[in-house]
Amino acid sequence: MDVFILLLEGIFVSFEPLNLGLLIFGCLIGLFVGAMPGLGSVNGVAILIPITFIIPPTAAIIFLAAVYYGAMYGGAISSVMLGIPGASTAVATVFDGRPLAVKGEAMTALTAAAVGSFVGGTVSVILFTLFAPPLAEVALRFNAPETFALMVMAFATFVGLGGDDVPKTIFSILIGLALSTIGLDLITGKPRLIFFNIPGFLHGINFLVLAIGIYGIGEMLWTLEETKGKVQMSKLSVNMKEVGRAFGALKKTIMAMNIGSFLGFFVGILPAAGATPASLMSYGITKQLSKNSKEFGSGVPAGVVAPECANNSASTGSMLPMLTLGIPGSPTTAILLGGMILWGLTPGPLLFTQEPEFVWGLIGSLYIANFFTLVLNIALIPAFLMVLRIPFAILAPVIFVLCVTGGYAPTQSLHDVWLMLLFGFAGYILRKLDYPVAPAVLSIVLGPLAEKALRQSLILSDGSMGIFFDMAEKPIAAIIMYIAIVLLIMPAFGPLYKKFFKKAQTT
Amino acid sequence: MSIIKKLALVIVSLSLVAVSSVSSAKPFSPKKPIELIIPAGQGGGADEIARLVQGVIEKNDYASKPVIPINKKGGSGGEAMTYVKKKAGDEHTLIITLNNVLTTPVNQPELGIDFFNDFTPLARLITDTFLVWIATEGKNTQGVETFDDFIALAKGNGLVMGGTGSMSEDELLLGMMRGQFGFDAKYVPYDGGGAVAKGLVGGESDFTLNNPSEQMGFYQSGDSKALVMMTPERNPAFPDVPSSYELGYPDLEYYMMRAFMAPAGIDAEVEKYYTGLLHTVYHDNEFQTFNIDDGKLMSWLEGFGLKDFLAIEYAKHGEIIKNFN
Repeated sequence: MDVFILLLEGIFVSFEPLNLGLLIFGCLIGLFVGAMPGLGSVNGVAILIPITFIIPPTAAIIFLAAVYYGAMYGGAISSVMLGIPGASTAVATVFDGRPLAVKGEAMTALTAAAVGSFVGGTVSVILFTLFAPPLAEVALRFNAPETFALMVMAFATFVGLGGDDVPKTIFSILIGLALSTIGLDLITGKPRLIFFNIPGFLHGINFLVLAIGIYGIGEMLWTLEETKGKVQMSKLSVNMKEVGRAFGALKKTIMAMNIGSFLGFFVGILPAAGATPASLMSYGITKQLSKNSKEFGSGVPAGVVAPECANNSASTGSMLPMLTLGIPGSPTTAILLGGMILWGLTPGPLLFTQEPEFVWGLIGSLYIANFFTLVLNIALIPAFLMVLRIPFAILAPVIFVLCVTGGYAPTQSLHDVWLMLLFGFAGYILRKLDYPVAPAVLSIVLGPLAEKALRQSLILSDGSMGIFFDMAEKPIAAIIMYIAIVLLIMPAFGPLYKKFFKKAQTT
Repeated sequence: MSIIKKLALVIVSLSLVAVSSVSSAKPFSPKKPIELIIPAGQGGGADEIARLVQGVIEKNDYASKPVIPINKKGGSGGEAMTYVKKKAGDEHTLIITLNNVLTTPVNQPELGIDFFNDFTPLARLITDTFLVWIATEGKNTQGVETFDDFIALAKGNGLVMGGTGSMSEDELLLGMMRGQFGFDAKYVPYDGGGAVAKGLVGGESDFTLNNPSEQMGFYQSGDSKALVMMTPERNPAFPDVPSSYELGYPDLEYYMMRAFMAPAGIDAEVEKYYTGLLHTVYHDNEFQTFNIDDGKLMSWLEGFGLKDFLAIEYAKHGEIIKNFN
């Protein structure tokens, strides 16, 4: 098989001393930028681009891909240990990772994150290796109506996300959607909802500002109230029994791994989506389909595996349209793409044949980077766990500083820091009132994607919604749309079904 | 030491490095890192050039302090321009231009930006042009071989054009062509030139007005073809594409400029320093090779020549916008 020879060559390329050294270095940097709130892979890769002018393109892409990849792993660390999403891709990891840590099962959460990431990353790179050209064709056919249908499907899974209180969940979704419309109108280019003419609103509300505010500051206030500044947990030991238990817990996450790997990869190869929506959708769908969906949010390993698996899978997937079509599948690949052009490569359909060493070197390096980051992560777990031994009175100011840096870093504007603090306070109040906040965070990410796809589709169809249900012309969009509708009404019929079923049993 | 303490230490030491500065006597040299504001998102054309300039400066040590690119994409450049306007007199801020610096002050008067008094133009390095692209296998553009075929087809049928967003260069161009050739098209905005190119090859749109590098991959693979380039002469990167002058449409001429500006109110010494720095970058071998291969036009302009050029372009864009609405 041609593919395997090429892949073997690629793996050899990534074992060259310079490439291997850069790969390991890149993974380490990635772990760091991923774990630092607000830095994330986008900033990490953008900052490092100039360094790559002095090394050959293959080494450069291996290095930057390793940073991208490592960041997907790293994001989980601060999500679990501090309750602050380290990167936008790790927001969904907070939902269950943080409760697990608070329950004293941080070891399980971190192991689930590392193994989930490894599985997601490996499955996707295998899919990438085997099916790159036909999948590029799929990405090419996936246009505005298909994207909107996919977004509707994602929203449908969110309604079940906030627990039983459906009106409160819908309220939370709507808050997120309203916030996501601030800034530049995506179609007309006109500013909208610029409150008090403050220029900071022109760039809209960065989703990380909301996530760090709600989860970082809001959680900090909440925890301070609960623990009165004491150490959160004292009984913390790393022994073989714990390790065994952590790995044992993974048995129940097979479904989450499947959903995360395949859905993540699929969302990743679609243009303009990327790892953040992929991880959120994977969480939502896993929860929806899980037998014990009620326990999600209170700390189940599957709730960590689903998003972590998906974000690694999607980050690999998003390199596919970058290489084969020259379009970024995520914000980070947008920068990688810029880098490739600067290194003198032309991304596009011919890249695989014109630059085999570059393409296959990259693919080969992904296998190795995956393995290396897994080992590194598992080995470092005891070090990460030490964070929990710090009294919260000391940890809280550190979290506060990290949140402020995290709010400032992506846009370098103090405006966002104030907003972040405001959201933190609002998040705390919402939590006291028992409103779910996760749906708001999800909708601020997917809101703009959905709005844009909807409006593009309606321009194409002259305003007719029929474009989403046209089985003859746009079968992919129509099928996804019907699945979405079923998912949306399923929770409504769930209780009815149960009632009926019980009745049938008793009679 | 806990990981958090280690992180905190790294942050503190990094910020110390960033703050520390060495003062120097005249002539001007930067005393702290230079902020390079990009009025567009990461990964776009302006971002690409900004990061290339940064890379060339750092690799060759052309400047004594690092250049830090900062993307402020909000409000079609409005956020970036407001930021630079507020930085009047600041000696460590530069902005790279897209044509949105010419259109946003007109389209968004509420921002209160005075294009001629809020900035100090330094130099123009590159101009980029546009082409009319169709997909080789396009289902609505079958049989179209020349630009004239295209006009004939477009007049009768409402074709779909993919573009990079409302009031961006390509939509203004569509407005210009509507006036010149009497056809209209349905405009669908996408996220950046790459997505526009993909929409065309994927069959969602019928034509695009992308610039050379955005469609280069699909041009080389034969998936899309260009009908005309909006310049007086052919471009060596696209030898088989006629220029608009050749086809007898000299009015169909349009450029996107990559120029650099500083805030208003800086000393002449500072202006001279940055213009000199950009001039060194412009003549750098790597910078030249990259841009020529990418189909861009190397077109250095500074001083009064640049001011005249900007005044003409500003007026021209004002005219296009007026006809557009």
